[in-house]
Amino acid sequence: MQILRDDSIGILGRVTGLLGSWRRLFLGAASLAVFIALWSLYSAWLHGDWPFAYRSWSQPAEYIPYPSEVLYAFVDSFTHRDPFTSLYMTSHIYASLKRMFFGFVLAFLVAVPLGLLMGRSANAEAIGKPLVELFRPIPPLAWVPIFLIALKLFWGPIAIVFLGIFFPILLNVMFGAKSVDPVLIDAARTLGAKRRDIFTKVVLPFTIPYMMTGIKVGIGVGWMCIVAAEMLGAVGGGVGLFIYNMAYQGTMYDRMYAGMLVIGLLSVLTTGAAGFLEQRLSRWMGMK
Amino acid sequence: MDGNEVVISMKQLSKVFTKDRRQIKALEGFDLDVKEGEFVCLLGPSGCGKTTILRIVAGLETATGGDITVRGNKPGVAGQARGMVFQEFALFPWRTVRKNIEFGLEIKGVPEAEMQKMSSQLVDLVGLKGFENAHPKELSGGMKQRVGIARALANNPKVLLMDEPFGSLDAQTRNLMQKELLRIWAATNKTILFVTHSVDEAVFLADRIVIMTARPGKVREIIEVDLPRPRDRTSQEFIKVRGKVLTELDEEFEKARAKELSPE
Ligand SMILES: Nc1ncnc2c1ncn2[C@@H]1O[C@H](COP(=O)(O)OP(=O)(O)O)[C@@H](O)[C@H]1O
Ligand SMILES: [Mg+2]
Repeated sequence: MQILRDDSIGILGRVTGLLGSWRRLFLGAASLAVFIALWSLYSAWLHGDWPFAYRSWSQPAEYIPYPSEVLYAFVDSFTHRDPFTSLYMTSHIYASLKRMFFGFVLAFLVAVPLGLLMGRSANAEAIGKPLVELFRPIPPLAWVPIFLIALKLFWGPIAIVFLGIFFPILLNVMFGAKSVDPVLIDAARTLGAKRRDIFTKVVLPFTIPYMMTGIKVGIGVGWMCIVAAEMLGAVGGGVGLFIYNMAYQGTMYDRMYAGMLVIGLLSVLTTGAAGFLEQRLSRWMGMK
Repeated sequence: MDGNEVVISMKQLSKVFTKDRRQIKALEGFDLDVKEGEFVCLLGPSGCGKTTILRIVAGLETATGGDITVRGNKPGVAGQARGMVFQEFALFPWRTVRKNIEFGLEIKGVPEAEMQKMSSQLVDLVGLKGFENAHPKELSGGMKQRVGIARALANNPKVLLMDEPFGSLDAQTRNLMQKELLRIWAATNKTILFVTHSVDEAVFLADRIVIMTARPGKVREIIEVDLPRPRDRTSQEFIKVRGKVLTELDEEFEKARAKELSPE
């Protein structure tokens, strides 16, 4: 009788593992540093600053502000109201998060039952598949005009985010429900499980890690849609609206980039959290 | 062993699978009675329908011909008269050892306290003490199958169906598990229908060994193993029975191969 646990890697394995993660951290930081250096250099070239002798003629210099200017605008957006909506960045973030949250909850509530149904019933799949195949490749952004016109500025942006999050969850849940090992269902049946028990006690738990993957991917796609969703106006502000205003109303490109940075960070944080939860849950459930 | 009541009765059982419009005769005219408390091993070339028989008894498939009753009932009325143990273990990965064992009890709606008591007894019976809260992926193959056996026993079935349960274990663990199974069998008085393709395993375990023909499967010969337990694999008698079974089986393997080579 022998039990296998993760700590069988031993001290050596853990030390090299640690070195590995330090190296990853170092390379990640180095890559960011090189990017910022190249960016600075390009800005300097456009501005005709040191080490370049004269101004480039190719583009107006303000299109590519210095990283330091963007960082300043980033901080400034949190400490001063923006001139168009008179909102702090925190309010914009709150508005965008709220929109993402509504879109996510709606997408989850619709996609999970549909995915389970299509994954477990050949008829449901035959009915649903053509529609999914038709609508999935249409970018959510293509729906922006009609959603904003028809659903107006409160539900329109939410609907766009919803579409972005919906398909990743649907497809992952469907795939998960389909890949339930048939022998697990046989085992459940020999233990007296009826259809309902099989669904709640076998199919559903089996699908949870897939659901989490869908949520993680979906949130990422949702952030990609948020700017377009908020561009033409949004109730109560939004980071996307902020970006649009800065570029089109104010030609304040440093602030525009600061808004983009906020979106990137929000996406990293939220998908990171979902990924962390996914891993924790899978491990806690003894799966993957 | 000395009980006379027939627990599983199969008469002229047949099963035809239809797959891509082709018909595959898995079983044809399979006859077997298994008596209460008996340990019966099914032995035969792969593809001869051993798994199909267990699945029919378990109520997972329906026979296309013939009669089958489990304690007088049609197996389709699944009930909880039989438990099944799978070669692939088929444990629920998200459930701990205890929760896996309690699966059937949960479905029956057994109250929590009673369920705990019953699963604790089973944990002791199959030798899993201390591992109640481990997940299946933390266990070795032999321990996984201990969970599989305990889970099947939880519903207190009369009949235990085992489909090559030790097929994926290494030789040492396999021998240990055979001894453990005999101990559990003696402690619980179950009737066991056990599929294997190891002659050695069949002779070590069974009261009777049912040797099947190549597909479509039926009974070729039933060999009684009249050796006292615990059996000694190196004893003269053991080797004699083993030799007899092997000779029968070899002929059937040859037939199966010849059939494969010749066009139908
Ligand atoms: N669901 C199924 N559909 C079609 N053919 C099947 C199915 N299950 C088993 N068979 C066929 O029936 C025969 C007997 O299978 P099985 O009972 O698994 O044999 P064994 O367990 O003795 O190896 C095999 O030829 C197999 O291909
Ligand atoms: Mg088989």
